[in-house]
Amino acid sequence: MNGAGERRLRILGLLVGGGSPELETTRLCAVSAEATGMTGAGIMLMSDDAPRGSLCTTDSVSALIEDLQFTLGEGPCVDAHHGQRPVLEPDLAQPVVTRWLAFSGPVVEAGVRAVFGFPIRIGAVRLGALNLYCDQPGPMADEQHADSMMMSDIAAQAILVLQSNAPPGTLAAELASGFRVQYVVHQATGMVAAQLEIGVGHALIRLRAYAFGNELPLAEVAREVVARRLRFHAEGCETDPDS
Amino acid sequence: MTETDGSRDPMPREAMLAAAFVKLADTLVGDFDVVELLTILVDRCVEVLNVEAAGLMLVSPEGDLRVMASSSEAMRVLELFELQAQEGPCLDCFHTGRAVVNQDLAASQERWPRFTAEALAAGFSSVHALPMRLRGSVLGALNLFHAEPGEMRQSDIDSGQALADVATIAILHHRAAQEAQILNEQLNYALNSRIVIEQAKGMIAEREGFSVDRAFAKMRNHARNHNLRLVDVADAVITGELAASEMDRLPQEPS
Repeated sequence: MNGAGERRLRILGLLVGGGSPELETTRLCAVSAEATGMTGAGIMLMSDDAPRGSLCTTDSVSALIEDLQFTLGEGPCVDAHHGQRPVLEPDLAQPVVTRWLAFSGPVVEAGVRAVFGFPIRIGAVRLGALNLYCDQPGPMADEQHADSMMMSDIAAQAILVLQSNAPPGTLAAELASGFRVQYVVHQATGMVAAQLEIGVGHALIRLRAYAFGNELPLAEVAREVVARRLRFHAEGCETDPDS
Repeated sequence: MTETDGSRDPMPREAMLAAAFVKLADTLVGDFDVVELLTILVDRCVEVLNVEAAGLMLVSPEGDLRVMASSSEAMRVLELFELQAQEGPCLDCFHTGRAVVNQDLAASQERWPRFTAEALAAGFSSVHALPMRLRGSVLGALNLFHAEPGEMRQSDIDSGQALADVATIAILHHRAAQEAQILNEQLNYALNSRIVIEQAKGMIAEREGFSVDRAFAKMRNHARNHNLRLVDVADAVITGELAASEMDRLPQEPS
């Protein structure tokens, strides 16, 4: 247990970084990458069946990794959350077994060579997953793996601590700010549901299918819908260049 | 007698919740051994900060300080004495929320008569205490005692404060682990509520030809007028029970 205590202290020390003990989600992500020696990191919050959104990402590549999982519903964070175990892909460009047909291509194109997902949870409480990527292929060293496990543990507690300071019934401001970009997705979902007279779950699927089919980020498609430049109707979709 | 800065306010909520952890720590329940963590931390202080001994005190739910970790038995005895005598650097730091730094024991007989005698007898020459702070509340303090005379370097003081901050986070995390189920339910509820409200905004915006901001204003106005929760209004919109046309008009809308 002594080793775990030392490891936790070291990572908490990185989180504090000389400032006050106030937590910021951006710092959680930055420390995740720093502590594990990865190129970039991100944290996704997930419900039982689907990704809910990004808490933080260190760079545009991590943001792509998360956005694709949000759009496609497949990827290392999704698998890690469902299976409640680390998901390790040391060579995404030439995997031993191809796991993610739609996710891998765009991500490799963006420069990712290895990607790892670690569930973020406390006991039976499952919050989401930590994703880590490297621009070089290769497995994690034992130390990196142990640091990643510890980091997910710390992230889980930090998320709950942040929420514990929020007024009852509301999302903590520190968590909400990371989610801001996803609100437009839910607004678009409501609009598409009204346009097609279908349920919101079905509407989200339609949005995702459009995003994937057109190789666009889901949030961008959502913005087009909310700006009324993109409409859905039973026969398909139309864009309005005059808007 | 100890110095105080006037009457102390009732302990703020965060400090009470964090202090509740102290009781739990005694039973060593939780996902990690926080007492062991704090012990490692005070040992780290001794290694890194050029001090002879370090100790950590936390406030209990009843409002009094308890010794949580000490780097040596002599330190532990002295900290317990400090609490018993109700005077010393840790108490001052805790009550004021400000660091006590470079207090030379040769000059502190008036400030802490009994503590000074004991500390000198134990071989210490100067004392420091750094606050463990959270959003304005003080959870406890980190004691750092020197055997050599001389001032503590600013870099060591800064590092010591950083270590105190690490201890604060560790304690908060332990509490979160204890209350994980409750906090997760609150988080889920807050997230789901927010999602439902955003979806409802989109629906009303589409059906009425509004902007989403106006759709939100409509829902909020209706919720207030009828003493309903916003999330319940949004839910009713999603399920089709409540149409925008049935909602109260906004002040600027024509009748």
